[in-house]
Amino acid sequence: MTTSTSAPVTAPTTHAVAARTKGLRKEYGSTVAVDRVDLELPEGAVLGMLGPNGSGKTTTIRMLLGLVRPTQGEIELLGQRLPDGVEQALPHVGALVEGPGFHPFLSGRENLIRCAAFEPLLPKKQIKQAVEDALERVGLAQAAHRRYRGYSLGMKQRLGLAGALLVPRKLVVLDEPTNGLDPAGTREIRKIIAELHEQGSTVLVSSHLLSEVEATCTHVAVLHRGTVVAQGELTELLQAGGSALQVITPDVETALGALRQAKISARPLGEGLRVELAGTSAPQVIETLVKAGVGVYEATRWKTGLEELFARLTEAEEAERGMSSVDTLDGGRR
Amino acid sequence: MNNRKVTLAAAAAGVLTGAAGLSLLAMPAGAGQPPSLPNIAPETLVEQVLTSKPGAFGGTVEVDNKLGLPSIAEIPQLADGKHSARIWTDGNGKLRLALPNGQSEQTIVDDGTTTWSWNSQDNEVTKSEHKDGRKDEAKPDNAMDPATAAKEIVSKTKEFSDISVDGTARVANRAAYELVLTPKAGEKTLVREVRIAVDSELKMPLRVAVLTNGTAEPVGQVGFSQINVGPQDSKLFEFTPPSGAKVTTPEAKEEQQRHKPEIGIEQALRGENPQIFGTGWDTVVGARIPADAMTQVPAEAQGLVDRFTKKVSGNWGSGKLFTTKVATILIADDGRVVAGAVPEQVLFDTIGQVK
Amino acid sequence: MITRQLGSEVRWMLRRPRTIIGLFGLVLVPIIISFGIWTASDEGGGGPGLAAILKGNGMVVPIFTLFLSLNLLLPLVASIWAADGLAGEAQHGTLRGLLVAPVSRVRLLFVKLFGLTAMSLFAVTLMAVVGIIAGTAFLGTDGMMTLSGTTLSTAEGLVRIVLFILLVTFQMVSIGAVALAVSSTTEHPLVVQAATMTTIIVFQVLGQFPSLDWLHPFLITTGFPGLIDVMRDPIPFGQIWDSTLLAGCYLLIGTGLAAMRLITKDN
Repeated sequence: MTTSTSAPVTAPTTHAVAARTKGLRKEYGSTVAVDRVDLELPEGAVLGMLGPNGSGKTTTIRMLLGLVRPTQGEIELLGQRLPDGVEQALPHVGALVEGPGFHPFLSGRENLIRCAAFEPLLPKKQIKQAVEDALERVGLAQAAHRRYRGYSLGMKQRLGLAGALLVPRKLVVLDEPTNGLDPAGTREIRKIIAELHEQGSTVLVSSHLLSEVEATCTHVAVLHRGTVVAQGELTELLQAGGSALQVITPDVETALGALRQAKISARPLGEGLRVELAGTSAPQVIETLVKAGVGVYEATRWKTGLEELFARLTEAEEAERGMSSVDTLDGGRR
Repeated sequence: MNNRKVTLAAAAAGVLTGAAGLSLLAMPAGAGQPPSLPNIAPETLVEQVLTSKPGAFGGTVEVDNKLGLPSIAEIPQLADGKHSARIWTDGNGKLRLALPNGQSEQTIVDDGTTTWSWNSQDNEVTKSEHKDGRKDEAKPDNAMDPATAAKEIVSKTKEFSDISVDGTARVANRAAYELVLTPKAGEKTLVREVRIAVDSELKMPLRVAVLTNGTAEPVGQVGFSQINVGPQDSKLFEFTPPSGAKVTTPEAKEEQQRHKPEIGIEQALRGENPQIFGTGWDTVVGARIPADAMTQVPAEAQGLVDRFTKKVSGNWGSGKLFTTKVATILIADDGRVVAGAVPEQVLFDTIGQVK
Repeated sequence: MITRQLGSEVRWMLRRPRTIIGLFGLVLVPIIISFGIWTASDEGGGGPGLAAILKGNGMVVPIFTLFLSLNLLLPLVASIWAADGLAGEAQHGTLRGLLVAPVSRVRLLFVKLFGLTAMSLFAVTLMAVVGIIAGTAFLGTDGMMTLSGTTLSTAEGLVRIVLFILLVTFQMVSIGAVALAVSSTTEHPLVVQAATMTTIIVFQVLGQFPSLDWLHPFLITTGFPGLIDVMRDPIPFGQIWDSTLLAGCYLLIGTGLAAMRLITKDN
């Protein structure tokens, strides 16, 4: 909503939502961590929450789970209004927030048993089985007897995931689930997310790894500087945002001048230009350039990926503030 | 939201209750509303006090002492501050006293024929059989019992005092008359008045407070903080020395303590033949301590004595004057001692008569 | 549901290595005391308070041990449990897990308070039992001699010990409740322990100054010495009751503050 590109994709959805926030704002002292966050998580979707570190992803998730009290705004979680309904909603929510949290002196299994004891939906008799199943599912069955203290980062992450999956969930919230995982581990997480999706669970994944989100998500929400700059179905977003032309030319200055006259936005990039196709089309651009006497060696339709979209969304914001765009890209990569 | 506010309010109420409780606990127990009792003539009350025979009772006695006395090792209950003791009596001479001293305890049991004194600090029992089965009247512990103390004061001073009843009071949750003894105009004493709370039913004194000139608060007060009147468990008046405890006789004990000079003075003052001068409130007690007792005082003790006393001299000689709010003691260098609830001048005038 | 949560809490506390080490340390106290008195028993006893009557009086060892430990050791153990209960869980990120499970914050505090109480009772009872065994083994017993010089039967002595266990546990839980309030404000368990122990020590130091006697009735440590009245015969309940009320006020304040903090806290 803050940028022109996001306008078509924030249209209110009419189908059921697993979670929804409205005008969410959180202040810590004088700093505003999150502001005007209107998030919609459709039922059955896999929503990738993208954003550089410090963009408010985790704060938003924590508010969604009732861990943090919003300064302003409304939250609806699985049909319950927060904070009153939090205890009705949360049993159906599995979460891995801000890294896995376990006791170092207990084994993986003991840790899960302790978590299971506090799961309202898990009957006492089923605790043992549920713990074994969860361990199996994340591939920790072999290491379950070992102390958590000795786990690798990846194993810790898996145990965290197992904790979120102890009970069949309507909604699973995973904050940076692939942190510390090797490529094989990352693939497994993707597999688990896909399984959850197949079973009809709604999944919210936050990540700064764009490729991961692109590979697993049906929906995307991009957070930047504490607010949602774009959200919607992944395919729609890519279509809407994905039009640019890369032009290789020796005569960059002239080309820029001509395009500016034609009110087409462009900027120098490498050996040529990068031309935005918003409000214009490729033939029109080539025509403008040729008419201005600019030699075009090559014109390529930019292959838009999430990374590109993300960079553009966050960059646009930076440009408005008159700041360097490089920071954002760096921030986005970690 | 609402739910949360209710919980928050409940938690805050808990905190406030706790804080209020702390302040309540810190506040001295309030005297409460004085009870309303039928009027009684002071003379009648005095008569009843003197003839009352307290039956069996058990209770806790609080001693609040602002006299400015240095602490005496043997009777820590007399040192400045608040002390408590527990007392049980069957009304027929059997008695049990429990004097806590920090975390130790001194227990004195009189089973009618024998007085047992147990001190947990040295795991020692002093056994003293009554001569002729009669009670030893000079026992220091009687001072701990407000009933006995008050009776003694009343009997010794009533003819030298103006007696009145000044309202009522609630002592140890019992209704009491406040009997006030004011020394007559001619009495040369430090005492302004003695207030005795007399139980309205039993006519037994429950509290004695001594007030001196120039103070609003009592300088000394002995009173029950809790009392239950009625027969007491007879087992309380029996004592079997614990196995492993050393049992001695008072004579042996005295022998042991002869070397302690402060005991020497104390014993001299309440010794076999104290010399009494005068009558009523300005009675002065005199005695002569063997001179060697004075010289045997160790240096540290000497320092202590010097700190609490002031050097005085006059035509009677020279000595040390020890002043408390309610009593004055004059110790002459030659061993003569006089003491009384009187201003120092009375002692200077009297010491010459000590033999 | 609540019973299984409480059970899980106690199991979790018992599984902690530091709990095991702490309990082991506590159990050593009565053994060392009994042994020490036994080896020194040739001399004529003496000493202030209970120490004077320990000789040949093994049943007093548990009470003496607990009375001694109440000044420092038991508050330390209570503060460790309180520190691990909230600050420690926050530090490991497990507090979030519990809240998301979900456990309501009030119930979480209840679970923590229960764990603290159960473990305190266990630790105090364990010390007392070891004290009875070590005391009777080293010092022997025919019943229990009181400070008042009377001798109680073994059964009466056991009643006194049970009473003392409950009184000491209550003091410990009250200190723990205040420590829980501190624990709810931080993620560093050591801060909680340091704050609690500093407070206890400072209170005891302040208690030594007669000029501060207006302050003494407010200090929880003021109530400790009065508990020794359990060893007098008959028991004067005045001071015991006052000490327990004083601790009760601390319990209310600590629990209330912890609840207020937990309810409003962002995790």
